[in-house]
Amino acid sequence: MTREFNSLERFAPAPPKFHLLPFRFTRLNGKELLVNETGEFLFVPTGTVHRLTDERLDTGSALYQDLKAKQFVYDESSSPLLDILATKVRTKFDHMCDGTKLHIFVVTLRCEHSCEYCQVSRQTATRGEFDMSIATADRAIVMMMDSPAPALTLEIQGGEPLLAFDLIQYIVPEAKKLAIERGKDLDIVVCTNLACVTDDMLLYFRDECVKVSTSLDGPAFLHNKNRPRPGHNSYEKAIEGIERSRAILGMENVAALMTTTAASLDYAVEIVNEYVRRGFHSIFLRPISPYGFAVKTRHRTGYEIESFLEFYKKGLAHILKVNRGGYRIAEVYTQILLTKILTPNSTRYVDMQSPAGAAWNVLVYNFDGDVYASDESRMLAEMRDWTFRLGNVHKDTRRTIFTGDPALQLFRASCNQSLAGCSDCAFQSYCAADPVYHHATQGDMYGHRPTSGFCARNMEVIKHLFSLIDENDYETMHILWSWITGEQVTREVVACA
Amino acid sequence: MDQFGSIRTPDGRCIVIEIDRGIVSDEVLLKTCYWFSRDFTCETHGRNDQLAEVVLTPRDSTTVADPASTKDAFITSAMDFALRERIETKTSGIRDVLLAKAFSESGVLEDEPLGVFGDAVEEAKTDGMFKILGNPRP
Repeated sequence: MTREFNSLERFAPAPPKFHLLPFRFTRLNGKELLVNETGEFLFVPTGTVHRLTDERLDTGSALYQDLKAKQFVYDESSSPLLDILATKVRTKFDHMCDGTKLHIFVVTLRCEHSCEYCQVSRQTATRGEFDMSIATADRAIVMMMDSPAPALTLEIQGGEPLLAFDLIQYIVPEAKKLAIERGKDLDIVVCTNLACVTDDMLLYFRDECVKVSTSLDGPAFLHNKNRPRPGHNSYEKAIEGIERSRAILGMENVAALMTTTAASLDYAVEIVNEYVRRGFHSIFLRPISPYGFAVKTRHRTGYEIESFLEFYKKGLAHILKVNRGGYRIAEVYTQILLTKILTPNSTRYVDMQSPAGAAWNVLVYNFDGDVYASDESRMLAEMRDWTFRLGNVHKDTRRTIFTGDPALQLFRASCNQSLAGCSDCAFQSYCAADPVYHHATQGDMYGHRPTSGFCARNMEVIKHLFSLIDENDYETMHILWSWITGEQVTREVVACA
Repeated sequence: MDQFGSIRTPDGRCIVIEIDRGIVSDEVLLKTCYWFSRDFTCETHGRNDQLAEVVLTPRDSTTVADPASTKDAFITSAMDFALRERIETKTSGIRDVLLAKAFSESGVLEDEPLGVFGDAVEEAKTDGMFKILGNPRP
């Protein structure tokens, strides 16, 4: 780091003594990486931590001034400025404020796809007993509105929710009516494979300001392999549906998600190119979830975490290359982590929060009225594990759900600040606790970090991002910042590519 | 002085590392063993007041090509955890105050935490940072 100011000695004597503020550290790229309680970081030369703890650091050095500026130390000429630090800490935990924001309604288990990695136990398209009843929908809407959050998201999913379109037509206006009565903002998203979407449905969504989220796993050969359906035309249906949805709802109201299966691992570049070709400006390189059908079919769809990390790094490198070429496309997981690393803010992404987002920030209302802590919790229930079933809309209230044993057990294992292996971790501020994942994969909500796929993935991805930050390549950092701020990469940067 | 001796057990399978308990506390040793528990089963015992002994037995899936580098990695990790322990000792008080302060203003705590949270110099200024950031008190 270069400084163009005169040395401190020209203005004031160096303080004789300094004190430490709380921080954690790790070693990366031959340096020590320090991260303080608010997630601010500093790369420092190896040996700095030792000198800090021995209070042997030169208080007249530029390094000392950097440490002081980033609030790793304080001295008599400064104060701990606890108010500022406390404000930053509170901002980092902003996701805890207000209560549950995301409410997922599983309106039906019916689906005409038979994806091997499917996260639910889909039922055949004609078995109406797996649809949510009007009475259950009414109770779920009330419970959703009982959340103290002033802004709610209602996510309607399945199965394939469009197979229960009449129920969507009931839920949407009822939820809106109650939201107005309670003075809440309400966003509504329908998660659909778009195979059976019609223009009438899309016109309804347009009129009701309902957004659409769909699945796109990559090019046709990959998407159709991952997502079989009668006619073997899932890809063609999805693309046609995306185009019609965009024409009626507008580009910004149609999103796509991909799932990485074993078949995807060799095609990171092709998957990214498919998203670019289809005009998307974000892609989420998501690993497969170890739940639901993915457990039964893991010998075909699963893979080791190391394979996913290789896929992610290759995909990210290609996405950065595409951005350098002038097309803006952000990788969502990177965007989420960089927001935590480079800004004071938290994110709304419930899978990467501590305390964990499960229950606290997301509730799932199953077709039968059972309430789960997350979508993954419901998938476990489909495998006959009801650990995270918090209650039922017909028997419980929000209060009884949040004070019941399942929720309290979950909350106890929800803070990475107090988990073995996490409590000392330099990346704690950026990472999360995931009791549902660890229960599913290790049989223990608290989890064993050295053998945790969640820990291995996040640790390696965060290290990779810090390596990019440490390299400090102008174009790369400009692109990464543009993902956080949403600003376009300037022409000058593209011209450098 | 070699504070961290190491030998292999007679069957050559285990790695035994001696640790100076004056440098590495029992808690630090356990934290280090925790992170080695993916690849090894770890047994620790105190030989005497000065020395602890760690026996690392590779799990079936683990191949140890170079015991010396395993020993180095273990000791490096132990020293890092010892540093973390020292940081924790020096900063846990201020960390508690910091978190209490952060959450008291979010309305989570029923009572104001004890202690002085402001900066006296800043508080005295009419346009000080403390005044700008501080929440209005009833």
